[in-house]
Amino acid sequence: MPSELLKGFRLLDLTDEKGALCGKMFADLGAEVIKVEPPAGCSTRRIAPYLEDKADPEHCLYSIAYHAGKKSVTAKLATDEGRALVAELAAKSDFLVESYPLGYLDSIGLGYDVLAKKNPRLIYASITPFGDTGPGKDYNWADIITWAAGGMMYLMGEEHKPPLQMSLPQAGLHAGGEAAVAMMLAHYPRQIDGLGQRIVVNMQACIVWTLMNEQAMPFLHGNHLSRTGIFVGSTDARRKMVYECRDGHISTLIAGGTTVGNSTKALIEWMGESGFGSDWMRTKDWVSWVPGVFMKMTEQDYKEIDDLETTIQRFLLTMTKHEIYAQGLKRRIFLAPVANVADVAADEQLKARDFWTAVPHDTIGRTLTFPGPFAKMSATPIGATTRAPRIGEHTDEIYRSLLGLTPERLNKLRAAGSI
Amino acid sequence: MSRFALEGVHILDFAWVGVGPITTKYFADNGAEVIRVESAARLDVLRIGPPWKDATPGINRSQFFASFNSSKKGITLDLSKPKARDLAKRLVPWADIIVESFTPKAMRNWGLDYENLRELRPDLIMLSTCMQGQTGPNALYPGFGQLMAALSGFYYISGYGPGSCAPPYGAYTDFIAPRFSAFALLAALDYRRRTGKGQYIDMSQYEAAMQNLAPALIDYHATGRVLGPQANASARYAPHGAYRCADEDGNERWIAIAVASDEQWRAMLNALAANSADPRFATSSARIENAAAIDEFVESLTRAHNAHELTVKLQAGGVAAYPVENCVDIHQDDNLEAFGFWHWLEHKEMGPSPYEGLEHRMSRTPGTLRSAAPILGQDNDEVFRGMLSLRADEIEQLKKENVIF
Repeated sequence: MPSELLKGFRLLDLTDEKGALCGKMFADLGAEVIKVEPPAGCSTRRIAPYLEDKADPEHCLYSIAYHAGKKSVTAKLATDEGRALVAELAAKSDFLVESYPLGYLDSIGLGYDVLAKKNPRLIYASITPFGDTGPGKDYNWADIITWAAGGMMYLMGEEHKPPLQMSLPQAGLHAGGEAAVAMMLAHYPRQIDGLGQRIVVNMQACIVWTLMNEQAMPFLHGNHLSRTGIFVGSTDARRKMVYECRDGHISTLIAGGTTVGNSTKALIEWMGESGFGSDWMRTKDWVSWVPGVFMKMTEQDYKEIDDLETTIQRFLLTMTKHEIYAQGLKRRIFLAPVANVADVAADEQLKARDFWTAVPHDTIGRTLTFPGPFAKMSATPIGATTRAPRIGEHTDEIYRSLLGLTPERLNKLRAAGSI
Repeated sequence: MSRFALEGVHILDFAWVGVGPITTKYFADNGAEVIRVESAARLDVLRIGPPWKDATPGINRSQFFASFNSSKKGITLDLSKPKARDLAKRLVPWADIIVESFTPKAMRNWGLDYENLRELRPDLIMLSTCMQGQTGPNALYPGFGQLMAALSGFYYISGYGPGSCAPPYGAYTDFIAPRFSAFALLAALDYRRRTGKGQYIDMSQYEAAMQNLAPALIDYHATGRVLGPQANASARYAPHGAYRCADEDGNERWIAIAVASDEQWRAMLNALAANSADPRFATSSARIENAAAIDEFVESLTRAHNAHELTVKLQAGGVAAYPVENCVDIHQDDNLEAFGFWHWLEHKEMGPSPYEGLEHRMSRTPGTLRSAAPILGQDNDEVFRGMLSLRADEIEQLKKENVIF
């Protein structure tokens, strides 16, 4: 059961991978989400990798994950009849989100201005790679392009080696989440005055926002980071962020100050119990040691950090990431395993919170395990989602019940290839 | 019609660091009145996080803090003192929404948890967001977004291949969770309008982050396949990656290119004034199979080109491409400029400072950064005198007692 939170609201989803998460979020909160796709299925039905490497839409992991909870109708936008159906659906919808090339829907009579005349309540969001006014407004797109344009790619990887993206593309997910927030922001005044509006989401901006504190460096410190690999450092206090352990990597950070200083102390104490580390590490006042912030890094600081990082590395190599994480939790040390999906799936905390959710997939004859809700809500809990629809699975149901089409008319449309 | 989408919405914001403040920023930039309660007992660590005005640290000099707190008011209370908690509670009836992001026990210990606060405002909506959620054996896990990005799986899928780890910059998951928490809060506001019911939202940043890894997690549970770091490899595009261009002013420059079809492949060669009769590059599937060879070939061509000029040429031919921009470039980017993304706001101590703008634009009730971030205690007088009707001498006394600091 999805949440009751947005029950009674309808969203028309005309996105591809630039925004599929948006409709998924609305479906999680109980809205009716109707995915409109071409008769052969939208491009998101054919994104590798596939479950068991079976290259068909039913096994497409992207679709399985991000179309869950939605309904699917088909409409061929290249035909007048297909367009008319979408316009009629939009007249009966509260939200519409789309990610076609800029201006395409306008050119076929499905732009905001046309649809809003019939349905002034409509909130209509367009997800664009580079906004709607700049020289790149019509640029071709792929996820890695936004990752590069948003500045994150430049910061990932090692110096003099190629900048990197993640092995599971992220930009379209940020854009989908942003569209969901923006539409709900616009929903608030609509509940007062009944008027919708047009929203333009800028994907490049969505990634720039993930750069945390780095954007202002050029102005305030007169410098900017390059790729630093496993190191972190916005100031001159460059620290190692990732260490090797017996079966992978651990992320931790040595630092001083009231919060992290105690963590550093606890790590040094733990090392001492196993015969690692030297006296200076154990006697140093880590809580008041804050080089790079309220004091300059001295030669001595650099030597000490180097010594400590080397010692930590030797120490962590004696254990597995699970052993280290367990001790970190017990001793309140700021550290985390560099977890893979197997580690995450085995994690006790997620199990204790009943996070994982079983979602039956009669389409492929098995039940799949999904990540659970993004939040626990006391009055309107988000329950298990339902499987992604087959391409056009709800075509008849929606067109009949919502638009009042007769079976004969549906057959005609089908024969003409419009649905 | 009100000028901003959320005019009239009130938020009492006890949050700190990233996720909480970024969540309430959505509201503040859209007209809601957000009062940040900064506690001396837990001063926001970002206040001393770099970068600082003139590279000189100070609690009112951090753009790290400022970027996440535009359009908000700021007051100071030492919540470890009972008198401070009483003052905070007097603001609760005013608040539609309360947000906090401490480790779970902090608000409970102060008696400022949902069960207590809803007595003061029965239809209260309250969001608690912490690393791993309010319940479970690891609820008290101390951490920050960098560690969460490692723990939730993003570090592992970032690297040049098996055994390599090249994590994303910064607290990556801090920029995932707020899109979910703001969405949930806005929906909860609407639900309250319809039903009169408030509620409590427990958001684990760990669980929110998982949403961005869903395909890989579903795959693992079903088949045991573990997604690992694959550099810039793609099962759909080739070439697909970042390719070295001509250096500029002694600095390395790179361009990202993604080619999906034969037509785009020909357009790419055309833009690079190159030919290829190599059978390994003849079809899409052949190119994907020979991705390593194609990367080498493409880089041999891009090496002589200016990244910006090449982008224009490639895009003119319909090829997805863009320079790999650094933090200087994004401030000079024509597309972000045309969108009106960057804002220079006048901050009380920092003067004109660069803020990221909104990632979307609304046609009828557009949000904007209404003011720079507050300096510490900037709005104490307005709130304690104006809203709580304390007299000047009472405020002085509370300051002496370090209740207000």
